[in-house]
Amino acid sequence: MLEGAVLLLALVGLGLSAACLDARLGGAQVGAPFGEVARLLVQQRRRTLLRDTLLLRIGVISLIVAPVLAGIVIPLGDAPVADLAVGIVWFNAMEVCVWGSLWLTGWAVNSVYPLAGAYRLVAQGLAYELPHMFALITVALGAGSLRMGDAVQAQQGLWFVVWMPIAFLIYLVSALAMAFWGPMSQPVGTDLAGGVRAELSGPDRLLFQAGRYALLVVAAAAAVPLFLGGGAGPVLPSWLWVLVKTAAVLGLLVWVRHRVPAIRMDRFTQASWLVLIPLSLVQLLVVGIVVL
Amino acid sequence: MAPWAAVLGLVALLAVGVLAIYLVSLVISPRGTLGTGPFLSGTRPQEHALSRYHVRWYAVTLVFLAFDMEMVFMYPWALVVAEVGPVAVVEMFIFLGLLMVGVVYAWREGAFRWS
Amino acid sequence: MVVTEWLLKRAADHPRPFVVSAEHGTRARLLGEAEIARRRWRPAEPASEADLLVICGTPGEEFEAAIRTVWDDLPGPRARVDLPSDATPPSIGQALNRAVAHLADKDAQWRDAAARAGKPWSPDADRNSDSHTPDGGSSHHGHDSHASHGQEHDDDGHEGGHHEHHMGNPGGLPMAGRGPDRDGLSLDRLHVSIGPILSDWPRGLVVESVLQGDVIQDAAVRWLGSGESFWAEPWNKAAAGHPVTRAEAGRRQAAAYLDSLGRLLSVSGWSGAARRARALRDRLLADAPRAELAAPYRSFERQVRRSRTLRWMLRDVGSIEDGDAVSRLDGWLTRTRAAIDALEDETPLDGAPPVRHTLHPGLLVGGELATARLIIASLDPEPAVAHA
Repeated sequence: MLEGAVLLLALVGLGLSAACLDARLGGAQVGAPFGEVARLLVQQRRRTLLRDTLLLRIGVISLIVAPVLAGIVIPLGDAPVADLAVGIVWFNAMEVCVWGSLWLTGWAVNSVYPLAGAYRLVAQGLAYELPHMFALITVALGAGSLRMGDAVQAQQGLWFVVWMPIAFLIYLVSALAMAFWGPMSQPVGTDLAGGVRAELSGPDRLLFQAGRYALLVVAAAAAVPLFLGGGAGPVLPSWLWVLVKTAAVLGLLVWVRHRVPAIRMDRFTQASWLVLIPLSLVQLLVVGIVVL
Repeated sequence: MAPWAAVLGLVALLAVGVLAIYLVSLVISPRGTLGTGPFLSGTRPQEHALSRYHVRWYAVTLVFLAFDMEMVFMYPWALVVAEVGPVAVVEMFIFLGLLMVGVVYAWREGAFRWS
Repeated sequence: MVVTEWLLKRAADHPRPFVVSAEHGTRARLLGEAEIARRRWRPAEPASEADLLVICGTPGEEFEAAIRTVWDDLPGPRARVDLPSDATPPSIGQALNRAVAHLADKDAQWRDAAARAGKPWSPDADRNSDSHTPDGGSSHHGHDSHASHGQEHDDDGHEGGHHEHHMGNPGGLPMAGRGPDRDGLSLDRLHVSIGPILSDWPRGLVVESVLQGDVIQDAAVRWLGSGESFWAEPWNKAAAGHPVTRAEAGRRQAAAYLDSLGRLLSVSGWSGAARRARALRDRLLADAPRAELAAPYRSFERQVRRSRTLRWMLRDVGSIEDGDAVSRLDGWLTRTRAAIDALEDETPLDGAPPVRHTLHPGLLVGGELATARLIIASLDPEPAVAHA
């Protein structure tokens, strides 16, 4: 129970910090996210004609449940909430649930723009998911284990980011896509009047936004045990190092949003399959030869 | 069993949190739900939005599935490379090479372009 | 309840405005946007996210109906602000302050919400007024939808849930009918009007489109209201015999380009650069001297020109005789720099204002919504020119 509470607190804290940083970089007041929470809590509920409320709730709620469940395998200090032997696969599986969440949310509200946004997300998934999985498998290969804790152990001498830089970069790109954030935010794009989230209001919108930030935090946090040596570091206790490294990756992801335009999947898919996948395979081969 | 107890506790906490948000909203927001049309930038719909349309990246999904199946082998493979030795790496990369030939073929056929 | 009032107050401190420019509203829109940026409010991206609807200018009948539609669908707390064409910065500030106070006014907001809660929108209510489709295929389409639906209802699986999909018109609205699509398949078609109330969208533009998925199968362009003279004002004044310097016209023109750049960058999903463009535009219109503008503009231009992603995404989008979206972007950047460099040119103005692009609906057909948005933003057309 306690570990769970700590994980939730960390998610809420880091998520709110990310939202505040995003508001600041976007020229708004730092406190804007708190105003937004207040606004959505007092907002009148709204329902579009013949929406499928059950599907909508499944979509919105699973969008926050999935990242939290993905987070259980990430070591917060020395140990995660649940140290699964297949932690990396579990993380991958939970994070893919988001495809379903977004598709259901976009479909359920019976509106054109959310539907087109959901359609975009599936195309995006097809483009980012394979390089993402190859990046994860590269780590598993380097560690000789699918356990997050073992991956951290394997980095005692040298962090994976040093000898798997391509896998790390591909992981960062896919982290953006996973959280449909920044350059990969076409599914909720302004050009689609907000895409998937166009019709959400009140608590539904609040949970949707919270889920999105939770995804972003979890994606950033997973980079720490996977590539950045987990809690390893001088002087500070390991939990604090995990926090510092997570915040650094998270800050980078939030900053990218303000520096790079959105990427359209009809152009990115080809680049992903013909450049990112071969690159990630080369990285995998290098790591495979090294561990032999 | 201890880790699963912790996970169950976490899920329970999360459920309480989600429920609390809906409850708080129910209590403090104005009563009643606003029934609206879908947002269409200032017009009303002429049909329901739910419709059957062309999944234009259909070809990509098929290539994706081929790789996705391959992933099922790759997770266990990653664990035994060090034990089995070079044979494991050679075999896996021959397999991946074959799949990449498929990708190049699909690219030549224009599967990755759909707009 | 004390909690509710406290939360309302917090929410009202961070409103999400959505600015709509109607006829003769460009000047008021620019002043309004500058004031919103100064207050560091975060604009709502789609109007459906907003709680503060800011209407600039004097909307005509059809435009007003579109505004009402969006307004009716906004959940409370909500506030509407009307900025007339001759609004001044102080009057805009007061209007926004009143709106914020209204947003925090629990009694008024709860009355508004209660009055609306019992009256859900239904398609039957405005059946008579707008069932007409631009291609005139309305009746055929209705029939088609009925037939295809009865025959295939088993395939519909889940979405039918409680939609009574054996009926032709669940909830009083027909299901989509089928038609041939771009790729030679026969699939559902939706008749959707894109605009006029969208962010980063030309004032008064309505694209009546037939959508299959997110592909535009057919498009017709319509403008609500006529063109207006704000951007061409210096030239009109000069033509009327008033003394106008090149500097004054250049300032207006540079602001126009930066306004267009802001839209294009925003539609491209690059809000950071769009914000820089708009900040520069606001400073130009606030009569900042050349020395204060040249360096920040150079830095902005460098950032935009250096973005390979932007070029990758805009290449071959909306190609017409004078190039694609990338070349139009480059053209705007180059001409803005020239105009800013000439801000101290006090010689009298002659010649005609730069011609703005027109929008041919054919350019949009066969493209995705995302591409269509980029094409429109990269042309940033105006009705006066489109009619000419």
